[in-house]
Amino acid sequence: MKNQQITILDVLYEEPGPKTRRKIFTFTILSSILVTLFVLLIIFRFYVTGQLSARYWRFFAKWTTWAFLLKGLLGTVRVALMAALITFSMGFLFMFGRVRGYKVVKFISSVLIEFTRGVPTLLFIYFFFFGMPLFGIKMSAFWKITIPVAVSASGAVAEVLRGGVNAVHKGQREAALSLGLTENRTFFKIVFPQAFKYVIPSLISELVIVLKDTTFAYVVSFNDLMQNSSVLISNYDALLSVYLVAAVIYILINYFLNKLSVALALKR
Amino acid sequence: MSITELLSQFGHEYFLGYLTTLQLTFFSFLGAFIIGTVMTVFRVSPIKPLRTFGNFYVQVFRNIPGAALLILLVYAIPYLSIVFSYYTCVLIATTLIPSAFLSEHLITGINTIDKGQIEAARSLGLTFSQIISKIVIPQAVRSTVLHMTNLLVATMLTTAIASQVPLNPLDLTGLVAHINTHATGGIMAFAISAILYCLTAVLIGQIGNKIDKKVRVLR
Repeated sequence: MKNQQITILDVLYEEPGPKTRRKIFTFTILSSILVTLFVLLIIFRFYVTGQLSARYWRFFAKWTTWAFLLKGLLGTVRVALMAALITFSMGFLFMFGRVRGYKVVKFISSVLIEFTRGVPTLLFIYFFFFGMPLFGIKMSAFWKITIPVAVSASGAVAEVLRGGVNAVHKGQREAALSLGLTENRTFFKIVFPQAFKYVIPSLISELVIVLKDTTFAYVVSFNDLMQNSSVLISNYDALLSVYLVAAVIYILINYFLNKLSVALALKR
Repeated sequence: MSITELLSQFGHEYFLGYLTTLQLTFFSFLGAFIIGTVMTVFRVSPIKPLRTFGNFYVQVFRNIPGAALLILLVYAIPYLSIVFSYYTCVLIATTLIPSAFLSEHLITGINTIDKGQIEAARSLGLTFSQIISKIVIPQAVRSTVLHMTNLLVATMLTTAIASQVPLNPLDLTGLVAHINTHATGGIMAFAISAILYCLTAVLIGQIGNKIDKKVRVLR
């Protein structure tokens, strides 16, 4: 995609003549001034409200601060990985049901896919938080966040996998069948492995969504990055700086996951 | 609680909650469309500072978790003596995040256009603004209809973060949490909200498919 992006941007503009070059130059100067002013305005806001004072930032020089944040991040990663594992298994089942199941199974799978795709994660979280105890089911905070996050992503994962299966050339299936493989063997040995390769980038994008959804862990009081940040906040009485750092950590992790996804998509 | 009990006691609240969710979705998507388009123009413009700003903006808001952004807006921004109402905070969060994704979709749409089209247009003597308005934008929009309807659904799902702040009236998710903390609403309380969300999502998807079939550029 990146290569394509360069070509389209290249042809979008003609080689600029002297007049256009002057225009571009003027606008470049003007807009750099505006962007710089904007950034300065934000820094100034921090300054006048005293948020730049050392007491809000000093404790980030301490190792213990980062160790504590890292511990929270570990909680986030644990939830995200477990949720990813569950959501992949569920997504696979839904996809398999929709692609290969009998009529009834097909219908049920489609309904489940649409349902999990159309309901917000928070509603699932509240369901597991308030609803499960009504059945006498008690879960730890870890599962109370992991399961709803996994459930809410499963439909989207199923659709991603289905897209991959549909993208495999049908000659592959026909060839396998004519070699005497059963439908199931064909699916598991020939079609799905290829489909999986196609959709790895999209699956990473789904992992980003799962990781973002784990931020709601504070609803069920699970110690993730967000929750540990609020502990730091009450320890050092510094809200803005800590939450800002936490947000930047989330952004960086997701940024690099997305980069990885694009790189894998390009490699193909 | 049975469904009739629930509806007689909270029916009106559900109606208001649904309206709040729809309202948030509509305004957020509208705002996202405007901001996302402006950012896309920045990102394809030949002016470097604007490109950098647009790219930075998109990377920040497509990667920040909704809850983290809302918490920043509600609890952290007031420390800079900038105070928004709860509703405005939710609206800002649910606008900025989809706007980043919208810009990404538009860029993808622009990329689907064959460069031969632009070369052809230029050799026919079309000016730059004609190429943009007659060739690039129409095709980019037409090829991203499905992305846009998916984004509209995603925006609706994002508005559920409204349940994290005390709104009046509550949104659909916040209402369920409210019912369950003050009474035992049971499974039905969740089911009503879930079905409303889901039907809306399916409806948006259907309309999107219809529009897409009509306007898609066949290649």
